Order: sequence, then C-alpha cells, then structure tokens
Amino acid sequence: MKQIAFENKSAQKIYDSYFRRIRRTISVLSEADKQDVLMEFNSHIYEGLQNIEGDDEVDKLLKITQGLGDPEVVLKPLVAEKKLKQATTTFNPKHIFQAIFLNLKSGIKYSIFAILYLCLFSFGVLMIFKIINPENTGLFIKNGSFVALGTLKTTDTEVMEVLGDMFIPIMLLSALLLYILLTLGLKMTRKK
Amino acid sequence: MNSEFVQKWQSQVKKGTLAFILLNILKDNEFYGYELIEQVRKYTTIEIAEGTLYPLMNRLKKEGLVTSKWVEQESGIPRKYYQLTNVGISTLAEMRTYWDGLETAIQKLTK
Repeated sequence: MKQIAFENKSAQKIYDSYFRRIRRTISVLSEADKQDVLMEFNSHIYEGLQNIEGDDEVDKLLKITQGLGDPEVVLKPLVAEKKLKQATTTFNPKHIFQAIFLNLKSGIKYSIFAILYLCLFSFGVLMIFKIINPENTGLFIKNGSFVALGTLKTTDTEVMEVLGDMFIPIMLLSALLLYILLTLGLKMTRKK
Repeated sequence: MNSEFVQKWQSQVKKGTLAFILLNILKDNEFYGYELIEQVRKYTTIEIAEGTLYPLMNRLKKEGLVTSKWVEQESGIPRKYYQLTNVGISTLAEMRTYWDGLETAIQKLTK
C-alpha cells in the first residue's frame, strides 16, 4: 500500500499512529482482508485531504480521522464478520476460536457454539487421560444403560468400561465428526 | 414541541433509510466511498458519519447487493468503487415499491 506523505511532521505522526491502531485492530484478519481495510481507510484519508479546504495538514487530517472514528470501535463488527467467514471456510481451529471470541457479544448463538467447541476440546483431554489412566477412563455402562463418559473411579462391579482399546480411535473420530458438524453449523448461522 | 422526541425519531428514520438512499445513489453510477458520502450530503440533509458508511457498505456487499473493485489512480492511491449487482437492482426495485406505497399513504394521512 502506498502511504500518504505529509510535509508536516505532526500530521505524519497522527497518520502513522492512526494506521497503527487500525493494524492492531485488524491483526487477526487474513492478509487480503487486512490490505483491503488499510487501503480503504488510506483512500478515504487521501480523498479527504484533497477535498477539504484549508492549508493546515494537521487540521484536515484530524477532521478526517474524527469523522472516521476510533478504529477499535468502527472496525469491530467488520473484524468479527470477516473472521467468522475465514474460520468457516478454512476449518482452521485457531480461526474458529478467534471468530467465536470476537462474535460472543453479538448473540447467544455464539455462546452456545463456544460451549459446544469446549465440549469438543474435552474429547481431546479424555484421549490423553486414557493414555495416562487407562483403567478408569472410557465409556462406562451399567446393565446396558449409560453411566459416564470420562474418568470414573468406582467400586461398583456392575459398571463396565466398554470401549477398551477402541476408546481413542472412537473419540478421535467422534471429535472430528463433531468438529465438522459444528463448523458447518456455524457457517450456516452466518449465512442467515 | 418535544424536540427530543423529534430528534430521536429523525435519527431512526435516517438509520432506516440510509441503505435505501445509498442504493439509489448507486443506481446509475458507481462511486467510491468518499464520493458516496458527498452524494448523500448533496441530496439529503443527512450528515453521514464516515465511520458508519464503510460498515454499511460492507453489509450491503455481504448481502450481495453491491460489489466493489479497486481502481488504480495516478496518485498511486487507488479508489474502491462500489456498484449495484443484479440482485441489488431488483432489491432496490422492491424497496422502491414499498417506499412509494408508504409515501402515498402518508400523503393521504397528512392532507
């Protein structure tokens, strides 16, 4: 992106600092989205400088940036939305967690997704527990009905762990399936 | 007169019609962001905050009503031009029908 050069040093400082704030706000976005946002702000500032009457660069620049508002506030919805789009198209867990966190305030549905993803995370934890503590971790059943999925210490001899060595592969598969379903679900709520 | 009530009502009306106004501006021409704000100022008394324009344009883009393209400039600082899509054109026509109906009704009421 071609930056605007100012003659006035203070104006240059204000411009640089404003762009630092934009960059910080949009740091989680993809490179392409970042470029788009930066270029649009840059273009707006440039056009403003050409069109606003007056000679003082500082005055003109301040007028423009005040009109645009605080990047942290103005860009918040855009960042949340773009991040969600990126997350649901890449299926990358890092993007998904960032997206959900950024969207938490914009609706209860994202809180529900956050909880579901946390459940998913616990599947992973269980797989580690199974390695550390194989005897007491698994799917426990008593007389054909579900007792627990997780780590259980019991003296009840009727409670049986049924998955055995298949626990880790099954959990891995379920986690993967759940992950895909959740992410597709997230993608669908975004389209509405 | 309850000027506070009027003010609140005005801001609601502005908020509700801004997308309609922007789509109408883009009906015959493509414009870049800064120009769009100037066009809004030219045709209406709405003092549109720059900070609200860009998120709104982004929303219209997400809804598939407008597209945008970067056009290189001699200055080296390109402009992002917005234009209506076909969906945007038909959506605007539908909004127009509603608006005309509303206008007729209000004219009858305020006679």
